Amino acid sequence: MNLASERSVAGVEAAAVCCDRCPGATTADTSHFARRRLLKAAVFQPQPGPASVAGAGPADSIGASAAAPTADGSSADRHVYRTVTGTITDISPHFITIGDGVSQRRLALTADATAWRGEPLEPSALTPGDEAVIRIVPSQSAIADRIWANIGRVCGTILESNSERLLVAECATRPPQVVVISPLARVRIKVRVPNLRPGYLIDIIGVRRRGVLHGLIATNPQPPYRGDHLPPRAQSGGRLPEAITGCAVWHDQANEPYGVLGVFYPAVEPGAGCAEDAAARIAPGQAQTYRELPYLAVGSALHVRNECTNISLTLPVTGCTPTARLFNDHCTACKTSPRGRIADLTVASFIALGGELEQGCFNATLTIGR
Amino acid sequence: MLTLLGDVQIPLLAALLLGGCATKAIKVARTRTVAAGLGPTALFPLKLRAPVAVVMCAIEFCLGVGLLVTSGTFGEDAPAGLIRLGTGLLFLVATFALVELRSVRPDVGCGCFGEFSQTPVTGRTIARSALLAVAALATMKLDPIGPPHSAGQGVALLLILVAELVVLGFLSPEIRDVLVRIGYSAPCELRVVNPEQSLAALQRTAQWRRHSALLASDEPSDIWRELCWRYIAFPSKHAGKDAELVFAVRLEHRRPLVLSALVDTASGDVLPWPTGTSRPARGRRRSTVQVRPAHRSEPVPHAEAAGLPNVRRSDGF
Repeated sequence: MNLASERSVAGVEAAAVCCDRCPGATTADTSHFARRRLLKAAVFQPQPGPASVAGAGPADSIGASAAAPTADGSSADRHVYRTVTGTITDISPHFITIGDGVSQRRLALTADATAWRGEPLEPSALTPGDEAVIRIVPSQSAIADRIWANIGRVCGTILESNSERLLVAECATRPPQVVVISPLARVRIKVRVPNLRPGYLIDIIGVRRRGVLHGLIATNPQPPYRGDHLPPRAQSGGRLPEAITGCAVWHDQANEPYGVLGVFYPAVEPGAGCAEDAAARIAPGQAQTYRELPYLAVGSALHVRNECTNISLTLPVTGCTPTARLFNDHCTACKTSPRGRIADLTVASFIALGGELEQGCFNATLTIGR
Repeated sequence: MLTLLGDVQIPLLAALLLGGCATKAIKVARTRTVAAGLGPTALFPLKLRAPVAVVMCAIEFCLGVGLLVTSGTFGEDAPAGLIRLGTGLLFLVATFALVELRSVRPDVGCGCFGEFSQTPVTGRTIARSALLAVAALATMKLDPIGPPHSAGQGVALLLILVAELVVLGFLSPEIRDVLVRIGYSAPCELRVVNPEQSLAALQRTAQWRRHSALLASDEPSDIWRELCWRYIAFPSKHAGKDAELVFAVRLEHRRPLVLSALVDTASGDVLPWPTGTSRPARGRRRSTVQVRPAHRSEPVPHAEAAGLPNVRRSDGF
């Protein structure tokens, strides 16, 4: 799990506290965040008396039971998709082989397996050298039914634009991303993203070629405001509901290993000192969602349910996502979500919940254990 | 005066019982789960929670109606006495149930008034229940209630009622939830509270005085927040082994609820409190804790073993 390496204690070395996007973040201190759930469980369980040493319950079992993932009440592994990623080394109508130069893995393809590389195509049309995200059939270890090749995503504020290229700032801790949009794709993208001028927000999916994203699909209708002129959010007031429904998206992180299950959450507590909070010009509690999001920490468990597939999973918060706070948009995949982005999932989490990467989002419900 | 005091109790108890029943029913209708957040039902096995919640609600309704019906001359002897005895016993049982609930599930609210009772059970909640039990049992031999005979008596009744409502308001955490619901106050999940404020609040509590002798360092090893709680962990020692003393501080402006536990660093087991430190350490100098990160050098359990769910790598390259 690629979590930040530093402590989440206020005000100190905040630059690398909670953000996977921070340069230099390592996986060394993952268990630090994992330990939070153990300590939390310890506080809320009956305390052993001074004489009941043997009665102290094993905290591991508590944490494990509380953390048990569910997919509609049954074992998660029976329903949840898994992913394999790597570079395609060989492809045929029935098999795909991927590797990383050191090892290789061969997967069988189902009869109705499909692929995507900018557009739907037959798996056999993929070529060796493509970077593939492969979805494994639940309960199977070596059978794949979906392949995304060279897929990428850029989400942020447009810094510069001309007729073919956009420069997009995703966050303060990553260099701006270049997005190339062909004239043909531009016509299609402009339907959903009418403002390709600097200052406006953009969320675009496409194909990565030599480190540059060739934009093809605009996931959601573009917010009508500039990223630096956010409209005031209506105060909903009252007690927060136990379940919050909104738009869940996935993020394309070059530094994040594929396969990590986790979620970036827009309202990681300000005291955690997320590196990008200041750059986002919007406080964690002020996300442009239809209602406020409660504060959580890195390591908190979120129960996420895909309202389209009804697959649910308990995921840890692995980072903050200031960019998601800027977007007050609907997800129109499957069901139209209420306004606002409430979760920014890793690729593996998005696929595990039944999401289609090229759609970019799904309508999700978050439940937070109180 | 005592008669007037008794006269106030019957309608007040009836209103509380019927109000509690109504708010529970509203919560059930809203969440479509009978046992959702109904406080002491958390003490029962999962299968029994729904029937227990229904029975509790029904008993409250019957006793509330019974108190009103028998407050006058109708059923003034045995029926009225039985209903008032039943009301007293209900609040008495509730008092003990709340004590048990606070011990077993300190994070759960009493559920007395449905959605409004989500603040964890405190001594005030228990005191309120005990007070209502005393009030109900004290009315067993009360004569039938009638309208006040004079304006002076009416004013006295009103003053007693107001005074009792003030006392009940002081003992009721639901007041804050009502303010949140009407938008007057921000929900605690959205309240911005600095870690320094939480530390300062923690240092003013009896829990801190009781356990601060166990601290191996004044610097917290970790501070984080989830919803309405701030968690502060300190390095500690227990029987020569490394341990962590973790406090959970509820994010409230005044007199926050604080829970604590001693956890074995290596195994993650909850350790018993050493007997020598279970007394309040009076006169101990208040340490000046700096909110600074501490660097952990000791090994910690693997992420999944430590309870982080589903943090795993799939079989990618």
